Amino acid sequence: MTEPLKFVTHSIDDYAMQVTYNPATNEGNVVYNLSFVKNEDLEFVIGILKDAYKTGLAASGLVKFLGSGEKISDLVVPEGQTAVCTVCSVTLDGLLIRRGIPINPIGGGVVEIENRNPIRFIHMILYEYTTIDPLQVLNSQRLTSVTSVMRRGSGKILANIREFHMEAESLVGEVLDELSDSSFIGILEVGMPNVPLLGVPVSPQFIAVACVGGTNPLAAIKEGGCWVQTNAMKGLMDVSEMKEIRDY
Amino acid sequence: MIRTERKYIEILRILKDHQEPMGAKRLSELMAERGFILSDRAVQYYLSYLDAMGFTEKIGNQGRVLTPSGFQETDSALVDDRIGFIISKLERLAYRSTFDPKTSTGDVAYNLSIVPEESLDQVQKTFDEVVATGCGFFSSYRIVDHDPRIPHGSAGLITVCSISMDGVFQRNGIPVRMAFGGRLQISEGSPQRFVDLIGYRGTTIDPLELFISSGLTSISNFCRTKSGIALANVREVPSSALQNVKRTIQTMKKCGFAFPVTMGNQVFNLPPNPYRLSIVAFSGLNFIGNTVEQGIDIKTEIGAGNIPFSKVIEKN
Repeated sequence: MTEPLKFVTHSIDDYAMQVTYNPATNEGNVVYNLSFVKNEDLEFVIGILKDAYKTGLAASGLVKFLGSGEKISDLVVPEGQTAVCTVCSVTLDGLLIRRGIPINPIGGGVVEIENRNPIRFIHMILYEYTTIDPLQVLNSQRLTSVTSVMRRGSGKILANIREFHMEAESLVGEVLDELSDSSFIGILEVGMPNVPLLGVPVSPQFIAVACVGGTNPLAAIKEGGCWVQTNAMKGLMDVSEMKEIRDY
Repeated sequence: MIRTERKYIEILRILKDHQEPMGAKRLSELMAERGFILSDRAVQYYLSYLDAMGFTEKIGNQGRVLTPSGFQETDSALVDDRIGFIISKLERLAYRSTFDPKTSTGDVAYNLSIVPEESLDQVQKTFDEVVATGCGFFSSYRIVDHDPRIPHGSAGLITVCSISMDGVFQRNGIPVRMAFGGRLQISEGSPQRFVDLIGYRGTTIDPLELFISSGLTSISNFCRTKSGIALANVREVPSSALQNVKRTIQTMKKCGFAFPVTMGNQVFNLPPNPYRLSIVAFSGLNFIGNTVEQGIDIKTEIGAGNIPFSKVIEKN
């Protein structure tokens, strides 16, 4: 008998509860995504990560690179490959939960962007119904055009959405203000009470927040024809282990 | 406002289901069938809006057809509505599957795959592998060449869609609910556990299609070495239907359908449910997954329609 399957809603709660990141001091744990790329593509990968950060298409500018043979969580980086750790947007859910704001993670999907404005979700997988991170499977469906959003401001990106009770609106506002001065830049759009956000309905008296998926730069790398393997929500990492991508 | 968007999307969906141009009068009839009561004049108003958006175009005075961008719009708009649409499309096919396993007559639901003509031989090999391994839901497939949906220079293949089984259950008075698409790990011929599941009621893209194009299957390994990761569906029926389900499955097996992998209140690592039996069965999409793994270009419409069973078993 193997362990019962775990749906993503449960994984998000488990990870979010362990987030200790404090945006004001830039200290503590964040949730990270782990991706593998080929060593020969590394220069291109760093270029894309920089562009994605500059154009706001990453959850954060913080990254960590690991070379072949180094260990990360339960894996060893294979020969000829480099591991890239990026901040996962579930970190936001963690920040909200730690501040006493109950949230419902809704799901992950693909958002249409026009002239740098998010228009609507065009695909969605609800967390409650899946054991694999939606953005991990949507990444490989040729549904994204992250590169085009970086270059021309229009296209399709990966994003996720959660909702909170409107009672907590001012507290959420505070957290978002703190984030605006930190290295977490992934907020895509905040909705209004009882109003669907980017086409996704909310529960009665709830407000939705959409976030840029942390794996967008990896989707862009894939669009560029490079091999990438992504594991979303791989674990927790102290931000002191990560560096700003602009320093590379 | 939202209601308005819902209406124009329904018009696009109707046009998508019909190849020939359609006028406002017929559209208003079909809209009424779907619960949207609109005058011809109101339909005209929506159509001129859709023309302006570039989603439809006028063909002389015969009516409107969908443009490629209109086609795309039906796959982009109303994300929340489309989450329910995947399962609703399958339920329609199940209801229209009139197949009776006792007499081997009636209609089954099918998937239509389109491949370049030159790779047909190779595709047949990958399909035959799946048949030999018994993980294809049904023990044969059919090549079609006379179908308007198949472009010149391509070949079409019809595989039986496993939603046909739901139709047979329903006709035998067993309420059945398609719950999940998953990838099932098999070691030395024996299924071990689900690696991942995605629920049909929580996605805008078919779960099994997601697994195939994410490269998360190893069906060809399973076919060759008896160990790998294949696609399977999980359906739920009331526990009290156990005997009826077993009988129905036995008669289906005689017609060439693959027997489900297993069933029970707690199977593999699925969430337990004391009042529902989970039925785990291999999906017809293993044919397609195995072909994609070989790097062959294949486009598949899941649940493309219903077809008499006799046509499926005809020799190619």
